[in-house]
Amino acid sequence: MIDGASRSVWLHRLLFIAIALMLVFFRLLPLGSMAGDLPGPDFLLCIVFAWTMRRPDYLPALLITAVVLLDDMILMRPPGLWTALVIIASEFVRARVALTRELNFGVEWLLVAGMMVGMLLVYRIVFAIVLLPQPAFGFAMVQVLWSIMCYPVVVVLSRYLLDLHKPAMGEVDAYGRRM
Amino acid sequence: MAKNRTDPEEFSRPLRRVLVGLLVLFLLGLFFLWRIDSARVERFRTALVDRFVPSFQWASAPVTWGAGIADDYQSYARLYEQNQQLREELRQMKAWKEAALQLEQKNARLLDLVNVRLDPRLTHVTGVVLADSGSPFRQSVLLNVGERDGIRDGWATMDGIGLVGRISGVGGQTARVILLTDSNSRVPVSVQPSGQKALLAGDNSALPPLEFLEDNDAVRAGDIVISSGDGGVFPAGLLVGNVVKDTDNRLRVALSADFQKLEFLRVLRSHELVPITDAGALIALPPVMGPPKPPVSPDPPGEATAAGGNG
Repeated sequence: MIDGASRSVWLHRLLFIAIALMLVFFRLLPLGSMAGDLPGPDFLLCIVFAWTMRRPDYLPALLITAVVLLDDMILMRPPGLWTALVIIASEFVRARVALTRELNFGVEWLLVAGMMVGMLLVYRIVFAIVLLPQPAFGFAMVQVLWSIMCYPVVVVLSRYLLDLHKPAMGEVDAYGRRM
Repeated sequence: MAKNRTDPEEFSRPLRRVLVGLLVLFLLGLFFLWRIDSARVERFRTALVDRFVPSFQWASAPVTWGAGIADDYQSYARLYEQNQQLREELRQMKAWKEAALQLEQKNARLLDLVNVRLDPRLTHVTGVVLADSGSPFRQSVLLNVGERDGIRDGWATMDGIGLVGRISGVGGQTARVILLTDSNSRVPVSVQPSGQKALLAGDNSALPPLEFLEDNDAVRAGDIVISSGDGGVFPAGLLVGNVVKDTDNRLRVALSADFQKLEFLRVLRSHELVPITDAGALIALPPVMGPPKPPVSPDPPGEATAAGGNG
């Protein structure tokens, strides 16, 4: 049975994959990025947070894993580590959906910013533990700051272009359960 | 309503938690597998990239073309200024050309005198850049030539003018070039008039620093840096760049190759290179040395420089 609700879930999942592929595509374009250029935001991370915060059912953990792991592989990151961090963070958000529903945007933003910084720190600590060379802290931090600044943009775009919002009172999911 | 809420989730939630835990464990396992035996995982990555990236080509061609047009348009906009600049350069070049011609004749005569035979085996394959590394923390490009064109790990790559990097990771139809600016790149070089040997160690900036110079004072800004061929990694005598001094008086190299517009790269076939049978040897050193990358070279001098690069 395909009703409106489950169709919208699948549509959004497909959309997530398409957006992720597009992001990889644009990053891979050989447009002559130079060494020493400041890094831009990690849009994929923003999308994962913004979407799980609003509709966790749109992004099952396996889908996030597949997409971020592909990202890891293509962008020459050590495979698995960043994906594991994203999964843990998204599960953290998912477990607190009932709470974040009540939050206003400022607090949500703060929460996301905290998580992004935390992820970077854990990532770098693990790198240090296994003796991997890593870029300078400030340099890596620029990317996180960019991501934090872009988070509201991603949220607004998802809200108005993709109609992604926190479930309203009395909204029901595909199985007719209250959300 | 209350019943409705408890129903399926009571059972699925703990199960879900276990599954997600397993997923995270699996991912961390993958990471440690990569750390321990990177050769296998890197080979898988190369195969994946080999599959994935060329399929983007139909889409990326028009976009890069469009970006090229935009670039060209910008340069039209300052045509006059550019013209003046070129005239100026041309005047200087004429003088240089005269000098070069004389030198060439002299060189030919001298070569003839000492009966030098130039190495005819140093041929090249030209490839087109397919993709960037996609990450600001990694400096590499993907070429559209690979195993089927006979590319091998470790070969030097140049653009028209200077050294660009080294092949590391060869797939069926693609090969990855680790650029000199990548933080994992270490290339033995010599600085020209003084003949000082050094190591060009990429640090993810546009001007990689020179390390392990014996005598810093013998090297001045503007000196020419060429590959030294130490360690048998690269053919000797490839132009790398010029020495510059940065603000805290550290010696760095302004690379001759135009890293902003890497489009066609030539991969130099070097047959004297010891073939690398084990893909991991190029990517990961024995565990004591820590960071993956510097090429394991067959003889002691190379070994010494590679180990030093990590220190």
